[in-house]
Amino acid sequence: MFRRRGRTNLIPNYIILLLLVCFALGPILVPLFNSLKTPQELGTNPIGLPRAVHMENYVNAWVQGEFATTLTNSLIYVVFTVAGVLLLGGMAAYSLARLDPPGGNLYLVYMLTLSTLPFWLYVIPLFIMWRNLGLLNTRAGLIIMYVAFNSPFAIFLLRSFFMSLSRDFEDAARVDGANEWQVMTRVVIPIMWPAFLTVGLVVALGVWSEFQAALIFLQKDELLPVTTSYYNFTQRFGRDWSLTSAGAVMMTVPVLALFLLLQRRFVTGLTQGGLKM
Amino acid sequence: MHTGLKRLAPVLLSLGLLVAACAESAGGPETSAEDGAPEKVQITMWQDTSITADCIIEVAVNSFNEQSDTIEVIAEKKPNMMDAVRPALAAGAGPDVVPTHGPSFVAQFALAGQLMPLDDFVDVYGWDELFVPWALNLGRVGGTLYSLPQELETMVLFYNKTVFEEHGWEPPTTMDELEALAAEIQEAGIIPFAGGAADAIDNNEFYFTEFANKVAGPEKVYQALKGEIPWTDPDFVTSIETLNRMFQAGYWMGSPENFLVTDFSTARAAFASGEAAMTMEGTWIYDSLVGEMFTEDSEHGNDWGWAPMPSLTGEAIYNIGIGSTQSINQASERPEAAAEFLTHYNSPEIQARLLTECQSATAPIRLDPSQLEGVEPRMANLLAEFAKASDEDRYGYTTWTFFPPKTDQVIYEEIEKVWVGDMTPEEYLVAVDAAFQEELQAGETLVVPDR
Amino acid sequence: MPWLFIAPITLLHLVVVVAPSIGGMYYALTDWSGIGKADFIGLENFRTLFFDDGNFRLAIRHNVLWLAFFLTVPFIMALAVATLLAQTRRGSMAIRTAFFVPYVLPSVVVASIWRMLLDPRLGFGTLLENWGIEGFAHPYLGDKNTALGAIAFADNWHWWGFLMILFLTAMQNIPADLYDAAKIDGANRWQEFLNVTLPGIRSTVFFMLMMTAIWSFLVFDYVWILTHGGPAGSSEMLATYLYKQAFQRFEAGYGAAIGITMSAIAGIMATIFVLLRRRGWDV
Repeated sequence: MFRRRGRTNLIPNYIILLLLVCFALGPILVPLFNSLKTPQELGTNPIGLPRAVHMENYVNAWVQGEFATTLTNSLIYVVFTVAGVLLLGGMAAYSLARLDPPGGNLYLVYMLTLSTLPFWLYVIPLFIMWRNLGLLNTRAGLIIMYVAFNSPFAIFLLRSFFMSLSRDFEDAARVDGANEWQVMTRVVIPIMWPAFLTVGLVVALGVWSEFQAALIFLQKDELLPVTTSYYNFTQRFGRDWSLTSAGAVMMTVPVLALFLLLQRRFVTGLTQGGLKM
Repeated sequence: MHTGLKRLAPVLLSLGLLVAACAESAGGPETSAEDGAPEKVQITMWQDTSITADCIIEVAVNSFNEQSDTIEVIAEKKPNMMDAVRPALAAGAGPDVVPTHGPSFVAQFALAGQLMPLDDFVDVYGWDELFVPWALNLGRVGGTLYSLPQELETMVLFYNKTVFEEHGWEPPTTMDELEALAAEIQEAGIIPFAGGAADAIDNNEFYFTEFANKVAGPEKVYQALKGEIPWTDPDFVTSIETLNRMFQAGYWMGSPENFLVTDFSTARAAFASGEAAMTMEGTWIYDSLVGEMFTEDSEHGNDWGWAPMPSLTGEAIYNIGIGSTQSINQASERPEAAAEFLTHYNSPEIQARLLTECQSATAPIRLDPSQLEGVEPRMANLLAEFAKASDEDRYGYTTWTFFPPKTDQVIYEEIEKVWVGDMTPEEYLVAVDAAFQEELQAGETLVVPDR
Repeated sequence: MPWLFIAPITLLHLVVVVAPSIGGMYYALTDWSGIGKADFIGLENFRTLFFDDGNFRLAIRHNVLWLAFFLTVPFIMALAVATLLAQTRRGSMAIRTAFFVPYVLPSVVVASIWRMLLDPRLGFGTLLENWGIEGFAHPYLGDKNTALGAIAFADNWHWWGFLMILFLTAMQNIPADLYDAAKIDGANRWQEFLNVTLPGIRSTVFFMLMMTAIWSFLVFDYVWILTHGGPAGSSEMLATYLYKQAFQRFEAGYGAAIGITMSAIAGIMATIFVLLRRRGWDV
């Protein structure tokens, strides 16, 4: 833990930090304000406070964006993808960090190489395969893809978390006669859960804002995720920025709430839970 | 001499005539589909997600499903529809009824073997009777029919009437007058033209279309499309130079850079509020024009007018465009069902309802002229003038309807390089010509009816 | 046993990414349009790409500039702020949260925020003018000289806070006695940062540098939403160019050749890092 040193004058720190806080949060006010304006007002007053509050934008955006459907879908995609990534990626990361598989380094290079393949290179063959496997237009098909896309980063991150963790607890468990599965589930995961939380949150955010694969692999309205609601405010030759802003707020609120709920754990978590050295 | 585009006249006239005619067809449901036909064939169509989408589905799709015992059309609303169509088609999937933004797009899909030839259906469903022949022929690629035209359109010069009256300005008729007026408007602290390409880069082609047809003239464009003269012809150079001179003067939104970041809603707001005095736009903005830009209760209290886009000679020339099309997917397992649906969709009854109930533009089909009431008078006048112009051979060619796809792409992508100073008009036209000659050699140019 | 843990995710990757990529790679050697038959044309696509295609060279240049930006600006911001934050206690939790919030926003939302803010007539420049500060109203996304920078700026706004949290977390794992020892040696703050903090979080920094290097050649989202690679190709990236070739021009074979080139460049980046690691840096 970083030691406090009371003597240092922290006022310059705070000034810089507060300026940066304005930089980070200020722009977020823009969609918030704009979501309350009419398109006509937006055309002449796109940043400032609304002259009159038009809450009906939210109602219209909710209906036109079909948020009831898309929010539910995104929730499903996020939950299952995070679970899949943490389970499968966590197992792989644990093995790489702890079990010293022969060729482990080579495997890391392989994973790295994988993450350099651009989506647009393999999307057509993948699409053809998904169609043949009957995975097109299914939730499972999309979730499987998301797990695959997100796991290289997760494996790397989890692996380095595992590596930074002292082996003492595990060794103690092994001495007590636990097998590797028991060591992982009973010792490592309880200690590691803040790391899982971190990775889980990163993956959740990634899935929440994904739209390219979803737009291509899903062709049924009832399966589309929340980001595609954003496109529901585009017409052939234009976009309704009032509704877009209201939609933007609505697609942000759930993740923001989740983050604010977990952030204490997320941000401080790593220093608790036995990770102190 | 071929009658060709003259057939446009009855079509356009009847556009305005329809309004009242539909009251009856809008009335009651004709048949009930409750009788248990268990095995309905299912086909899919895609619809974008604008507000009119629900109306179109209600009018065109639900009515079909109610009357058909054998086919059920499933309309899927697709955000970002055109972006989704390409990969889906490329992988041999996608909807049975494939939408595009115009014949130039159709050619891309057709040349890639993704669309089904429709010639066999023409006789079966009487499409040659339903559609105006020249318009139907625009769906041909290399002699084979691949698409049906869905929306007929042209471009004109809309102006803010209130602003014009305040300053005593008159709509110009020649290019010289247009340029002089733009300078005067700018002098008065007003933006001469609203416009922008931030939403869609292909909107840049509006300007090539207008200036090539209005400066070099439709005759020259026709010759170039036939491969008789190159696109590097001095008259085209003058066209692009005129366009670029006006762009560099900042007549569009203040500067080329400003134009490039302006999106449609901003541009329309600028025009409606009087911040900009004019806009070169298409008939497709009709619903927005009367529905949101200039409504009874608009704060700005302005009014609008339109004039033909000025030309070098002062002759009023109208460019013809097909705004969107429908085709049948090569991978469709039920093409005959899709064809039956398309016949229903393009029937006079349904098209009339689309115009009146959804404010959606109609296909170039033969309609029965009955009454002239109901359409906004200025718009009715515009459509009548458009029809008259085509009757008198005063028509030009929009890029998205008559130009082959790769040429079209070069036209709207590379023009930005002229505007930002990376290319001269001559170099630009060399690039356009190179793409065109390649497509001409490969036999990939589109149908251009004889003048 | 170790491989049993690794096998499931590897299998998934083989199916979802590797196998289709191999398919994609084959098409790079053909004139495939995206459907129908593909004629084998050998390395013709690559020849055109490397020797005849000015837009491709431009795209590579933009990716390299992007890399240079993202290897420096967010790292400097994140390191500096993490260091400042590590010293504060009061309100530190709230400040951290604030910095992290932009990262939580979906990319379409971030992009639309900045599209509004960077607007020349109605964006933040006009706002500043209303407050009496002139000279910031500029069509950032429409000017070929600023478009790329503006996109990078927007992307970084959403990115650096995440990086900062990663660094801060790593810093908190540095044993406090190292700082005490440095203090006894009479180190000032800067020396402390260089000799204790930086080595202490080296593996995190190194890892993120590597991921940044790889991601910089794959960037697509923000560019596509904000400019589609324009104006006049001034923000064209390899990924947007690949997309245009494969899906707008129906040159899927040519697009695949671009994709392979992207992978190769990113792969070289990754290899450099792996080699460095072999030379004693730990990741």
